[in-house]
Amino acid sequence: MLKPEQMSKLLIAATRDQMGPVIAELYRHNLFHIEDYVEASAEGYEGFKIGTPLKGASEASGDLVKIRAIQNTFSIRSEDFEAKQRLRQSGLQALIERDLPAIEKEVEGLTVERSKLETKVKEYEQKISELTPFTGIPGDLDLYRGYSNLVVFAGYVEKEVSFSVPHETFVSKGKGRHFLVVIAPVVHRNDVEKALQEAGYQAVTIPDESGVPQERISFYSSQIASFKKEIEDTSRKLDVIKETHAEFLVACEEILKVQVDQTEAPLRFATTDETFVAEGWVPSASVEDLKQALVKATGGKIFVTVLPTNIEHDVVPVEYDNPPFAKPTQMLMDVYSRPKYSELDPTLMLSIVFPLFFGLILGDVGYGLILLAMCLGLRKFLKGEEGTQLLTVLRNASFSSILFGLLYSEFLGFALPWSPIMFSRHLNIGAHATGHGPQIPELMILAIWIGLLHITLGRVLGMVNHARQDHGDHRIKAVMANFGWICVMWGILMVIWSIVQMPYMPDFTTLPEIVSGVNIAAVVGAVMLIAGIVFIARDSGLELVELPTIISHVLSYARIVAVGLSSVAIAMVVNYIAIGMLIEPQLENITIVGVLFIVMGVAVFLIGHALNTALGILGAGLHSIRLHYVEFFTKFYKGGGRKYSPFGLNRRFTED
Amino acid sequence: MAAEVVAAAITDIELMKASQIGMKAIGAGLAVGLTGLASGIAEMAIGSAAVGATAENKDVFGLVLLLTVIPETIVIFGLVVGLLLLF
Repeated sequence: MLKPEQMSKLLIAATRDQMGPVIAELYRHNLFHIEDYVEASAEGYEGFKIGTPLKGASEASGDLVKIRAIQNTFSIRSEDFEAKQRLRQSGLQALIERDLPAIEKEVEGLTVERSKLETKVKEYEQKISELTPFTGIPGDLDLYRGYSNLVVFAGYVEKEVSFSVPHETFVSKGKGRHFLVVIAPVVHRNDVEKALQEAGYQAVTIPDESGVPQERISFYSSQIASFKKEIEDTSRKLDVIKETHAEFLVACEEILKVQVDQTEAPLRFATTDETFVAEGWVPSASVEDLKQALVKATGGKIFVTVLPTNIEHDVVPVEYDNPPFAKPTQMLMDVYSRPKYSELDPTLMLSIVFPLFFGLILGDVGYGLILLAMCLGLRKFLKGEEGTQLLTVLRNASFSSILFGLLYSEFLGFALPWSPIMFSRHLNIGAHATGHGPQIPELMILAIWIGLLHITLGRVLGMVNHARQDHGDHRIKAVMANFGWICVMWGILMVIWSIVQMPYMPDFTTLPEIVSGVNIAAVVGAVMLIAGIVFIARDSGLELVELPTIISHVLSYARIVAVGLSSVAIAMVVNYIAIGMLIEPQLENITIVGVLFIVMGVAVFLIGHALNTALGILGAGLHSIRLHYVEFFTKFYKGGGRKYSPFGLNRRFTED
Repeated sequence: MAAEVVAAAITDIELMKASQIGMKAIGAGLAVGLTGLASGIAEMAIGSAAVGATAENKDVFGLVLLLTVIPETIVIFGLVVGLLLLF
């Protein structure tokens, strides 16, 4: 919690003949994050070389490429499949050798055939479009060519043309431009061209066909229809193959991926002629288990030891260590940046505060229920890990929205049967609206309080982070600078409180005066302010230009109120237009036109609320996460940790 | 005679009050609207650059998001001014 999982650096050395069993054992445990061996930069590894793949690597990767090609054709993705029963690896191995070539050949044949047919269809469609202009001209296509004394022009003109030389013209009139065929003696070619040029002539290729254009078109159309039917047949055949072999294919892919990973692992090890050395990271809690398993697998012919970790130089891979309910929020952390190994992991705080902000902003029972239903419904369609995590985060947010909706007494913009338990956000919209109206000042103060506490927490965490990560003189200065930021913020507040009286905030205006209208709170505030500035300047003078962000960051939390109120306003306006203006007046005296209005009202209601749901979820989600990313994380969090990706695979379709 | 003058004066004052409220509303609207426009214009360039940078390297997403939302401060100030005017 609040810290990434503890890692230990493990060094494994053994003779080369143990490489196979060691790799298999490491893969099975799925714990060892291999540190790739790089020849040039390795210290203490003189004389070592990068290993060579184990036997069978090229066959396995060849097969994997084939399987992936087939999967691509069918657009099969293993994430889309529920693992039903696991297939035995040994049995599948035989099947791959026996069935895969045949399936591949069949699929390849069918896809080639299909793409050939598709090219044919395109070609014929092209021909039809070439022929179409000629349908308006009487006569055979043969008549357009084969003359020695005549020249034929065919094309579009923008206006009517008249020629001064002997000629024969056929025109089919169209909208804006006309299609025209001119046949004239070769000797007058230039005159005709000139006249055509003036009419904005655009030449059309004369199709190399014979017969009546209309007949040719219907011939090609029938051909296209039959090709399309064949394409459908082929696609159906491919679908049948997909249906029958899809699960086999994903299982094969998994097995081959396992094989390729394992056989190519030596490429990441340091080897000599007789031995190999592998370095990597393992969660400290699992070190002993892995050690014992490796010793057992090799019959003791192995050397495994934990190397000391040097936080300064080692780039330790980072794996989150969070309680189950906070795990989905890791996705939001990864979007920003994974924490560094030595850093505080704020996932837990994010997982609690994010839904709270979301609820404060959306705060409506109706929208909360819609979001909840959406999250539960989409679970069937979004299968990937990130998708499920996002849905879980949103589900938690929807619970919080429902809770705050009860407190705000809001249901799709209507009031619930009780008056708001928390501050009211009900706006007075519509002619008959009465009531208190929104408690904007109170809500603003609430938002400011949230901002003050959130930012103070961020600064405190900043102090912890610097105390942990930095060394020597800088450490004290950095910690004090963070303390200085807290002092400046609360100092400013003290001064404000000593001057102005505000609801839900301490009132220091009545404290005894010390000198000329300045009371004790103002003095304390001023001292805090100046001390804070000194602390900040001691760490880095340049940071002082950031001082105004204290105000802007705190005020930024006003968006919690603003975004929330805007969604309440839209909801209430939709309700007023739909019910107050369209439906209600008609209900008193129902007529046919009135029914039409009622239908319109229902449509406005549905569309308006659908739109507002989308806007509300987007707004609430984005602004809550933004408050974390921008206002909270900038106070203490850097990120940039390397992801822990252990050597191994969670098998879903197969087993050893 | 005097009563009429007083009545006229009262109407004048009421009118003035009403127009003051209206002016406040207009001022609040201008504060939010203009600062919103300003934020939008400022975020326009940053946003397009940010999308380009993210397309090249996904890791910078967090950083460019920060840069993109910096001008939002302007509209927040506008909002605060607007609310102070109205309430």
